[in-house]
Amino acid sequence: MRMTIPVAKVLSALLAEPGTERYGLDLMKLTGLPSGTLYPVLHRLQDAGWLAADWEEVDPAVAGRPARRYYRLTAEGVVAARRALAELRALAPQTGPSLGGAAGAPAW
Amino acid sequence: MVTRRVAEALLRAAARRWPVALREDLRREWAAELHVLAEAGQRARMLRFAASLATSRAGAPLVDRAVWHRQLRRTATALLLAPPACVAIVIVAVIAMTTVHFALEMRFAWAQHVQQPLWSALCAGLGVLLALLVARAARHGVRVGPLATAVGIVLPVAITVVVTEVLLSGDGEQLARVLPGVLLWLAGLTLALWGAAVLAGRGRLRLAWTVGVLGAFAAADIAVIATVVAAIPPIDPGQPLTDLPPDGVDRISAPLWLLTCWTDWSFGFSRPTDWERFLITDLVLMEPNFYLACTPYALTWAIRTARAAPAAELAPAGATA
Repeated sequence: MRMTIPVAKVLSALLAEPGTERYGLDLMKLTGLPSGTLYPVLHRLQDAGWLAADWEEVDPAVAGRPARRYYRLTAEGVVAARRALAELRALAPQTGPSLGGAAGAPAW
Repeated sequence: MVTRRVAEALLRAAARRWPVALREDLRREWAAELHVLAEAGQRARMLRFAASLATSRAGAPLVDRAVWHRQLRRTATALLLAPPACVAIVIVAVIAMTTVHFALEMRFAWAQHVQQPLWSALCAGLGVLLALLVARAARHGVRVGPLATAVGIVLPVAITVVVTEVLLSGDGEQLARVLPGVLLWLAGLTLALWGAAVLAGRGRLRLAWTVGVLGAFAAADIAVIATVVAAIPPIDPGQPLTDLPPDGVDRISAPLWLLTCWTDWSFGFSRPTDWERFLITDLVLMEPNFYLACTPYALTWAIRTARAAPAAELAPAGATA
């Protein structure tokens, strides 16, 4: 997995609450990434096996909206993401810019 | 309502840039997110969401990008090496023809008349062999639009043929006489390949081959005609009769000139005469055989890469964020 700032931002947001499933708009809000950057990153992470995606189990007629797709880190993804972000953090200058965790600070 | 329609149109365009296997899920996912934004009345965010996806590079799976890079290498190798191979074919054919002619000329009076046909037959035969090799590479070649395919084939041919003509021409005058015809052939070949690729892409293979072969023949014929017409004057009807043949070529036999270059034969017609054939082949000697060597592989590549391109293999090359 090639680590880039957008990838690190997505991993950071997901690692903030590893058990929580996130949908696209949610991740856009957490990371500040535009949709055109976010979705390719999500697919790269899925290809690498770090991320799993599942459709929301709702009846669109009852919910009044289409089902959304939720993303969550896999067990392998949690370990790999922590390691990758730690390596990135070790490389980054101490006063460098934040990668934008959920609370505005790195979440690892 | 208008905003939503615009956003939906942008999302449709965005989805088309992703691998086919992913498109349906992406459309569904984005439509759900768009619905949430629409319900909240966030029109600007709807447009930003859709526009960002429509204008950003799609995220092809890594495996697709690896395949694409491999296809690109194969395509570049095949299309860059094939034109010099055609020059080599013409040279090998002329050496073989000369050897055969040398062996026959002492024993058979007709040996001289088989030089041109033999040379052409060897060029065509070796050209077809090259096309068979290229066909294997074309199965894994990069699939792009018909026009891009045609230009991609012709561009390396153009570079090769122009460089070869410059190297072979003893002076600028000879180059100036031959080059316009060559450029005309390149333009005509591009059109023929384009047409063949369009038809092959629609699954009409037989028609694609027919259009490609006839188009390439027409391009070569027009190129030879243009070169001869520009360089050799027509026969002057008012010229007094002498023992020497007139130093011109009657235009009436123009459509046959390409075939004459290949066969050194007038097909039973009175024109072109022996002297006219000499003038024509003295002017355009190598080019018709180069056209003959090039056309099979060029058509093969255009048709094979265009035909039934599996949509799933059209993964975009763009790297992700």
